[in-house]
Amino acid sequence: MILLKHIHKKFKNNHVLKGIDLEVSKGDVVTIIGPSGSGKTTLLRCVNYLEKPDEGTISIHDLTIQTKKPVKKDILQLRRRTAMVFQHYNLFENKTVLENVTEGLIVAQKKSKKIAREIGIDILTKVGLADKINAYPQQLSGGQKQRVGIARALALNPDVILFDEPTSALDPEMVGEVLEIIREIASGGVTMMIVTHEIDFAREVSNRVVFMDDGQIIEQGSPDDILIHPKQERTRKFLKRIMKEPDFTI
Amino acid sequence: MSVVNDWFSLFIQVLDKLPITLFMLLISLVCSLVLGVAIAIIRIKRFKVLYQIATFYLSFCRSTPLLVQLFLVYFGLPQLLLAFQIDINSMDRMIFVLISLSLHNAAYLSEVVRSAYLAVGEDQFEAAYSVGMTYTQALWRVVLPQAFVLSLPNLGNNIIELLKDTSLAFTIGIIDIMGQVRIILGNNHGIGMFEIYVVISLIYWGTCILIEMVISTLEKVLKKGKISLSKL
Ligand SMILES: Nc1ncnc2c1ncn2[C@@H]1O[C@H](COP(=O)(O)OP(=O)(O)OP(=O)(O)O)[C@@H](O)[C@H]1O
Ligand SMILES: [Mg+2]
Repeated sequence: MILLKHIHKKFKNNHVLKGIDLEVSKGDVVTIIGPSGSGKTTLLRCVNYLEKPDEGTISIHDLTIQTKKPVKKDILQLRRRTAMVFQHYNLFENKTVLENVTEGLIVAQKKSKKIAREIGIDILTKVGLADKINAYPQQLSGGQKQRVGIARALALNPDVILFDEPTSALDPEMVGEVLEIIREIASGGVTMMIVTHEIDFAREVSNRVVFMDDGQIIEQGSPDDILIHPKQERTRKFLKRIMKEPDFTI
Repeated sequence: MSVVNDWFSLFIQVLDKLPITLFMLLISLVCSLVLGVAIAIIRIKRFKVLYQIATFYLSFCRSTPLLVQLFLVYFGLPQLLLAFQIDINSMDRMIFVLISLSLHNAAYLSEVVRSAYLAVGEDQFEAAYSVGMTYTQALWRVVLPQAFVLSLPNLGNNIIELLKDTSLAFTIGIIDIMGQVRIILGNNHGIGMFEIYVVISLIYWGTCILIEMVISTLEKVLKKGKISLSKL
């Protein structure tokens, strides 16, 4: 369903993505792991064009973007078929919790206010924030903010939700509540790409793990293949290091 | 006539023209706000040719006195338009005042808008894009409302400057409160100079206090989202 071909990205002279090929099927939960600076965030941001790749193609269903000559309308389409949960939440600061969720529905998807509101309340109830719909982001805890972020993405009913380290900015005691919700929507058949450092979580939630290093995909496969029986030396080293860290939940 | 009565009647006479002053303030504020936002975006987005023009324009507006700009518009514009067979000599003088005040103030406002826009932060744009908004939608629904709140203190100062700038309009014959003061002085052959300038000072001052009250109320109401610079 999603097909990335030969994605390259440079920041000035820094070659960050060196030819990424990746396929994600409907219902897949793909987690992306790898050392800091390996290009995980950049890859994810290329999928919804927050970052403009220098080379390659991005396809989602029948929509294909040639990144050498992108069409503005197609980029908008791409963004309307994807949603993102940000590391630092990126909630609309001037809008209430409910408005954060309904804004995209009303403005981008042209749904009526009434329907958007119904969807919004329904989803906010699912993430346990029914009593917070009129609060503003600054009145929420980190965990609550991220649950709004997830609700906002989910409400759009996108083809894929992109998660960039959704728990890494959270206080440890709030990590659980957010992971729990991601687990739930994963089991609901939503297609997801998740960048994470939570190895245990990756193992239980995903059906495929991608290991990236230095702008390339080193190997990918089932969680057991990659996390328990990695074939590549670099993967083994990375896992060893991350498992040894006293607090690898960050 | 008693002294108190004298002061009172002066006050009433000058106050009578306050609507003209406020009219100039309001119209040129709205026009300069629209133009200021446009210039700010041109400069932030660095649109090729427009960027050069905007920079040139800002430099000019900030480096020449408003009074000179007013005369340039008043004497220059009719001649310029006459070259295109458009005769505006008969036009209301007020138009020239509004044009020059708007052009002048837009230069200053564009900087107010620009710094507020930049203070909102790219993450708000990215959030808007991620839910499928276009640039224009993100701008109007997410970024500008927040920028507006952030800009309120500077905007308040700008409005007060603009109010004081309107006092130059009398030089081309507008009868605002300042123009009225000149007329009264003319009729009195220069007697009571001090009193009347006390009166007009108080009126400008009072108006400023009102403007400040409106701005701080707006700030309180709009800050409900608690947008602050501290989050940056
Ligand atoms: N906007 C940018 N401008 C310049 N360089 C950037 C930008 N964003 C990322 N980079 C660089 O690209 C490289 C990859 O960064 P990226 O954020 O994708 O890594 P990551 O795998 O997500 O790392 P982390 O695990 O620390 O989040 C880094 O060297 C980073 O410095
Ligand atoms: Mg990252």
